Formats: sequence, structure tokens, C-alpha cells
Amino acid sequence: MSAVATPVSPMLVRLAAEKATGALLRDHGTLYLVDGRVVHAESPAAPGLDVLLTTGGRLPREGWDEAVDRAGAHRAVGRFLVDSGRLHDGELEICHLGAVFDAAFFALSPTSGPTRFRYGVGHWFGTVRPVSAEAVERETVRRRELLDAVWPYDSVDTAPVVPRPAAPGQTMGARQRALLAAADGVLTPADLARLLGRPAFHTLLDVRRLAAAGLVETPLDPEPVPPPPPPALLPVLPVADPDIALLRRLRDALEAHL
Amino acid sequence: MPGIDECLMEAMALPGARGASLVDWTSGLALGTAGDSPVGDHETTAAETAELARSAAEFDSFTSAGDPDAGGAGAEDGPPVEDLIVTTRAGYHVLRFVETSFDSSVFLHLWLDRDSGNLALARLRLRDLAERLVLG
Repeated sequence: MSAVATPVSPMLVRLAAEKATGALLRDHGTLYLVDGRVVHAESPAAPGLDVLLTTGGRLPREGWDEAVDRAGAHRAVGRFLVDSGRLHDGELEICHLGAVFDAAFFALSPTSGPTRFRYGVGHWFGTVRPVSAEAVERETVRRRELLDAVWPYDSVDTAPVVPRPAAPGQTMGARQRALLAAADGVLTPADLARLLGRPAFHTLLDVRRLAAAGLVETPLDPEPVPPPPPPALLPVLPVADPDIALLRRLRDALEAHL
Repeated sequence: MPGIDECLMEAMALPGARGASLVDWTSGLALGTAGDSPVGDHETTAAETAELARSAAEFDSFTSAGDPDAGGAGAEDGPPVEDLIVTTRAGYHVLRFVETSFDSSVFLHLWLDRDSGNLALARLRLRDLAERLVLG
């Protein structure tokens, strides 16, 4: 309902308005548009559909590979998964929409890098359920705010997840228990998302919730040590090894003048 | 073999249906919506119902299935929590968990008019829709 005050990507707004078709390439991922609507998104930070569908055993890896082999060239892998009976429509839509919003969240993360648009480029997965660019932007902003509302320390997003002992009587949900059980003190939220076959944003959000509950360490920001303020007067330099002989000669010279 | 939109349309065909949506309860995202929202904004309703669903799905008291030894770990047949019903002065809200065989956290939300809605029928129909949405 509410319009996005500051667009996440001014270029996306423009492309949506001109009903462009192609690929929007940003530092942290790519959005694919058809007629100005978002049909697919990818980000190295977010597990792809193959991971989401094969990790839990919904699809065997060979089933996925075969679908890509046979339908990738026609950009109709999603359609093929349904038509060949590997997935149901509802499953495909739920999984694909989840993956698109997940990857878009990372693809649209603030960046100083270049944003490019390659007209006409499509994705081999094909179109499942297009979403308006405005909805994707709005959801991305909402997700940023949600993370910070839960626990405003983004250092947990990229650091290894280090579990902390629960307080007596403290409980957590099954999904969070599974997340903590997989956290070995080395894997980051993105690693855990891939391992568990879950969207990366969902994992970030759960890690922030766990950190807020004290069940995951919140690393201190590795802030650079602020430089000391410039001294108003010349500082007294610490002398590690005073030159005793020089001091004696000085004392002797001074005493000689008495 | 319905997709999200067909599923929501079928839910809206129930007597007294005022609004329906498919919502992800981890993130609060509405994957699909139909009809009206009680607050005039489906996204707000999705975020709010998601918090309610998340509490029910995560608290051991609801998920342990009455078996103190299970500890809420069992997820073999059917979601540990099947549905939630909130009765308000003017309506009913039925939240039905959808179980998928890949990792997800979604539920169907149906908002019914209190006078013309049929809660028992809506519960049964939502259970059926939640199954057909993923099993075809």
C-alpha cells in the first residue's frame, strides 16, 4: 500500500515503468524482468531452487539435472518440472516465489557497484509467477526493517554462528533447534541456509532472533580503533632507555655552574 | 492440480469468505492474496498473521502432540499444528498450515464473516485445499 519512499534501485523503478525485458545485474545478484515484472532472481548469497528442492529430498538431483538438460534451452525448466510430474503447481509456485524474494533481497542490498541492464536476456528457468517490481522493492525494504527490529546488529549476518547455552527453561522452535544443531561455530548463516536447504533470508532472520534471545553469540563489530585525538601540546615521548651517561654529564655541567 | 491463485479462489468461494491469502510465517510475506484484508492492506495482515502462526508453530506446548517424550521433534505425518482459529466480534480467521516436502513455512489464511461464514465447513475445506495445493 505505502509507496517506497527511497527506491532500493532507481533503475529497477525505471525499467518497470518502461516494461522492460532483460536482466538487471547488480553486485550481489541479478533480477530477471519480463515486461517490467520480476520473473526470477539469483544471488550468490541465496541458495538456488536446485538446493531448496533437492536438499530436503523433494527432488533427486538427477531429476533436477534432467529437467535443466531437457528444458533449459527453451527457458521452461519450471514448466517441465510440473508437466513431467516431478512437482505440483502449488509446490513450484511456493518454492519459486520464496527463492525469488530471497535472492532479490540480496541482489537489491545497498551497493556502490555498477548496475547494468542487459535487454532481452532471459533466465533458463522460465516464468512461473511474475511479481511486480514495486512489490519486490517494498518487500526488500520491509525485510531490512524486520531484521533490525528483531536485533539491530548486522554483525551476526555474516559471522560464523556460535551457539550459546540456553538459560534454564528457555525453549525454541523446531526450526531454530535444527539451525542451532547444524551451527558448528564455523558455518555462517549463508552456509547454514545452503546446508539446510532454506532461504538465506529466513536463516538470517532466525539467527537474529536467536541472537536476540541470547542463544547465538553477537560478535562485536570489528570497528577500526579510532585514532587518538591530535594532542594539543607536543606529547612527552616515553623513553625506554634513557641515556644515563648523557644525563650524568648534564648534571655535572649544571653543578659546575653553581 | 491447483496453483496458489486457484487455491485462493476456491477458498473465496466458501460462504462468508471475505479475504484469503497464502503467507510465509517465517518472513511474513504474502505469496498470494484474494479478496479484502481486515485492515485494507494484505501485506500488513500477512505480517501480523505470520507472527501468530509462528508462535503456534514454535511453542512446544502446541507442537509436542501431547506426548511429553516427543519434545516437538516429530514431523512425520502432517504438520504438528494443523490450524488456528481466531474468533472476533465480526468474523473468524482460520489459519491452516501447509506442509511441503521441501523446507518451507507457509499457511493459508481465510477471513470469514461471522454471520454468513460456516466455520466447520471452512476448516474442512481449508484442510483439503492445503493438501491439494502441494499434492495436486
